[in-house]
Amino acid sequence: MSLSLVHTFTGHTDKCWATSIHSKLPLLATVSGDRTCRVYNLETKRLIVVLDDDSHSKTLSSVEWKPTGEFPSLAIGSFDSTISIWGNEEAVLEDEDNWTLMAIIEGHENEIKGVSWSHDGVYLASCSRDKSIWIWEADDNNEEFECVFVVQEHSQDVKHVTWHQHENVLASSSYDDTVKLFKQDDYDEDDWVNVADLTGHEGTVWSSDFEKKGERVTRLSSSSDDGTIRIWKILHAADDQPSIDSKLPSTIKTDTNQDMWELETILPIIHHGPIYSVAWGENGYIASVGSDGRIVVYKELNSKEWQIIISQPHSHGVYEINNIKWHGDRLITAGDDGLVKLWELAL
Amino acid sequence: SVFNVPFTEKSSPGSTPALSDSSLQSDDEEFESVDALEIYDLISSISDPEHPLTLGQLAVVNLEDIQLDDSGNPNEIAEVIIKITPTITHCSLATLIGLGIRVRLERCLPPRYRIIIKVKEKTHQSENQVNKQLNDKERVSAACENDQLLKVISQMLSSCK
Repeated sequence: MSLSLVHTFTGHTDKCWATSIHSKLPLLATVSGDRTCRVYNLETKRLIVVLDDDSHSKTLSSVEWKPTGEFPSLAIGSFDSTISIWGNEEAVLEDEDNWTLMAIIEGHENEIKGVSWSHDGVYLASCSRDKSIWIWEADDNNEEFECVFVVQEHSQDVKHVTWHQHENVLASSSYDDTVKLFKQDDYDEDDWVNVADLTGHEGTVWSSDFEKKGERVTRLSSSSDDGTIRIWKILHAADDQPSIDSKLPSTIKTDTNQDMWELETILPIIHHGPIYSVAWGENGYIASVGSDGRIVVYKELNSKEWQIIISQPHSHGVYEINNIKWHGDRLITAGDDGLVKLWELAL
Repeated sequence: SVFNVPFTEKSSPGSTPALSDSSLQSDDEEFESVDALEIYDLISSISDPEHPLTLGQLAVVNLEDIQLDDSGNPNEIAEVIIKITPTITHCSLATLIGLGIRVRLERCLPPRYRIIIKVKEKTHQSENQVNKQLNDKERVSAACENDQLLKVISQMLSSCK
């Protein structure tokens, strides 16, 4: 099995840090140290617009399309500690004049490292070197963003946040070597509860991604500076306790406000150095990239055993690769060479 | 100023080697393969942020603490590991010195070199903390966009040839 290069998106003049593919439209957004966000039509490969009106004064580190709404919109996180929201107010995707800055969100004290929308588009989460995660409630027009909760559970920089594709469960990865999971409180929707801490990595956790199977949270992959990818499995969620629990006095039950997770396995180790990004595809495969410039794809044989089916060195020449995303059976990678590459999995 | 944009002296990312500026390319060719002595020469002339001496003179950097893992092939990734010896074990400037070394090398070496900077074992009381910070890509990138920090680093590098 191998990867074949379908297309290279050029234009960034500095490191490309992140990409996002729209869930319904053929839109690709890429962000860079050159302080611009480039939006491409994934089908025609044509550049639609460059979002660079000086709204940000530093590196754009993260980007994510909002999954809902009549027209496409996206959030960009920057090292200048602000988030910008952009949107297209017409259905005509090819016209660059239709893209406008809709909001600038301020609140974080330091560099923003990650942004992510909840599956229903109601919440935007952002994380920063200031150790916090902010959860913002968005209106349909992307005009008002109200901070509904600030998570301060990590002891160091929060590098990455990602929501589950169906549940309001957020996973955060940190410089403190942990992944933490948060869930909306059943009784107070503006309260977010730290339901699990996944510990074991021996270095910064750079990213995580949920398994794309089913409606409920099943498993999570995490990639780290320690050169490993770990697969975590939920044993049972706090809200579906065994029935015996309901008979226990409430003083005991308070302790069970936690999801039970276990480390299922560590994927075969092949990367040399930090693994910056991991992606779990709808096809069940996991892909990872990092400092060593290698694209690795893993296939599950059984629950504890994974096999490397692709390991391609020098995928961005001698440059580091910062981000990887699945798009069906295709992969999109972003590198320090400023390039964004679209690959096809040749089975 | 050259410090407005981090990594200005590297060949511009985003362009393939064939398209990059010819003057930059000849620089790359010159440094196609470097040895430990050349790396020592690049960083030993950096000034200490608080003494009127260079990192070489203060023995913060030493030739024997520079390790190279390099096949010499310009298409392969190579690794440089540098261990610095802070002058005192509670040196609060250890991270700044390390950052100065990183900036100097990122500007001078071709992009195929991964630079790992550590404080020498048992020479600093917060060894792990300093090491983690110096080798965190995002923190280093963000530091390179901090004007105040860049000013100090440019001062440190002004004594380099």
